[in-house]
Amino acid sequence: MLSTQKVQKSQKRVYVPLVSFVHFVVLLATLVFALAPVYWMLTISFKTEGEQFASPPPWFIFTPTLEHYYDAFVTRSFGRYLLTSAIVAVTSTILALVIGTLAAYALARFELPLKLNRRLSLWILSTRMFPAIVTAVPLFLMMRDVRLLNTRAALIIVYTAFNLPFVVWMMRGFFADLPRDLEEAALVDGDSRLGALVRIVLPLVTPGLAATAVFCLIVSWNEFLFALVLTQTDAAMTLPVGIAGRVTQYEIKWGVMSAAASVAIVPILVFALALQRYLVRGLSMGAVKG
Amino acid sequence: MSIEFRNVTKTFGGACVVDDLSLEVRDGEFIVLLGPSGCGKTTTLRMLAGLETITSGDIIINGERVNDVPTQHRDLAMVFQSYALYPHMTIAENIGYPLRVRKLEKADRTARVQRVAAMLEIESLLERKPRQLSGGERQRVALARAIVREPRAYLMDEPLSNLDARLRVQMRGELKRLQHQLGTTTIYVTHDQAEAMTLASRVAVMKKGRLQQFDTPLNIYNHPANRFVAEFVGSPSMNFIEKGDVTIGIRPEHIQVLTTPEDGALEARVYVTELMGNETFVFLSTGDNRLIARAPADFRADVDTKVWLRIATDKIHRFDPVTGELLPQRRSGATESAK
Repeated sequence: MLSTQKVQKSQKRVYVPLVSFVHFVVLLATLVFALAPVYWMLTISFKTEGEQFASPPPWFIFTPTLEHYYDAFVTRSFGRYLLTSAIVAVTSTILALVIGTLAAYALARFELPLKLNRRLSLWILSTRMFPAIVTAVPLFLMMRDVRLLNTRAALIIVYTAFNLPFVVWMMRGFFADLPRDLEEAALVDGDSRLGALVRIVLPLVTPGLAATAVFCLIVSWNEFLFALVLTQTDAAMTLPVGIAGRVTQYEIKWGVMSAAASVAIVPILVFALALQRYLVRGLSMGAVKG
Repeated sequence: MSIEFRNVTKTFGGACVVDDLSLEVRDGEFIVLLGPSGCGKTTTLRMLAGLETITSGDIIINGERVNDVPTQHRDLAMVFQSYALYPHMTIAENIGYPLRVRKLEKADRTARVQRVAAMLEIESLLERKPRQLSGGERQRVALARAIVREPRAYLMDEPLSNLDARLRVQMRGELKRLQHQLGTTTIYVTHDQAEAMTLASRVAVMKKGRLQQFDTPLNIYNHPANRFVAEFVGSPSMNFIEKGDVTIGIRPEHIQVLTTPEDGALEARVYVTELMGNETFVFLSTGDNRLIARAPADFRADVDTKVWLRIATDKIHRFDPVTGELLPQRRSGATESAK
């Protein structure tokens, strides 16, 4: 027994450097592929206009400047766009999580007549089965009729509706994986359904909830199409629309766009890092029983 | 607390799981629902807890019909087979949970958790999480959580089935002692006839959703109502011999194995013997029948040796071979004289 362990160990030693070298190369390639555009954007945001168009481009060494950031957030109203984006994304994420989690719990735990559990779930999913642009014109007309064009409320409503199916399906899966015994024990112990949901179930699906929240937030934060259709004034314009607006007939403000886009990355990055310890568990929840 | 099942039926999409069950439990009794898996015993318990709806019939607790009373208002405590400890809470929080949802003062809560923990000897575990506990310890925590709020009755769903054999016997004794101490009505579900025999004040034997017999362990053992009960209760199981229009049942301890022929003794061959330490199980073949007999520990016989069986005729049970129902004791004699 001891000798076979030794043999296995020594075999491992031979392979480890090679394997980790391959790992390293693959990871490096992936990182370069994923981060090169981000790097390019970041450097452009700090370059003067002259350096932006220099050929060959100064890859690493240039004179950094904050003029584009000043231009974007002081001279122009990108600060306001950022605030709108934050309000819209956070509010719609919270709404989608609250409504979607309750719906998902009901679908996962209560037996509805006429096989409605399955049918309703599929119906909810089907609202995501067509291209979003199909709904753009009807939504525009509806929002016009209820006088919500150019308001943050319009975007919050649309993003909440857009994220709901995803929340329902994700959370339904997490709930279904949770043993019923725990909730039943809570009920027998004297707690109400809602109490059991809040005190027992939700703490146990926190990783799933976190993963779902990050996803909703990213979708709402980056959404462009509806924001473009439903808002035309500074009052309710989000960052993506504001950034795209710097591409005009006469000029393309690369510096301003890069500066705004670089700032736009930060909140999502911080949020994802804060929830990182839940994210991996959340995304793999249900894959392995444990 | 008295509990009454009145013609309770439960169907799951056409399949009848509990069929017209009527059962009366008196205050302070320890009732065991015994039966093989799928006999409806767990469903019965869950209906009592309010975790399962009742298709028809009534469940009455202390004279009050509780069919439509939600689980949390029935004031029953349940111990689950999986223990169902809340994994994100410490043991103290787990035990204190029923008190917390009843909005008890924190100091009061802590004191009661301490008292119950002391009673079950788990004080040293209070700050740990369930996953750091062994099976036996989790079992005690589940019990503690049930006991802490002094409910009207305890419901237990195979609480010992996840423990190893030694621990199961030990916990079985402690459960019995505990129930004696608390004097609270207990409904206990198991498929283990030994648990039923040792724990129960009365046993309800179920099969395919129907109550077969509801009586004291001793009566269940000595006077089984039908072949199913006779076979299910007792280890090793009762022997059955088909004899014309009657099935004869005889328990292993009522067959005496003789190594020398005797008048009226049945001839048989030893199939195999199993020494259990304090006794020997002798597996025998006679004609087409296989029998098991209990013999003293010093009984020795080689495979295939010829032996003679003395059967205690006054201990024989007669069953209808078709329905399995118990037949009156003198039935075969009566039919003979009728002819």
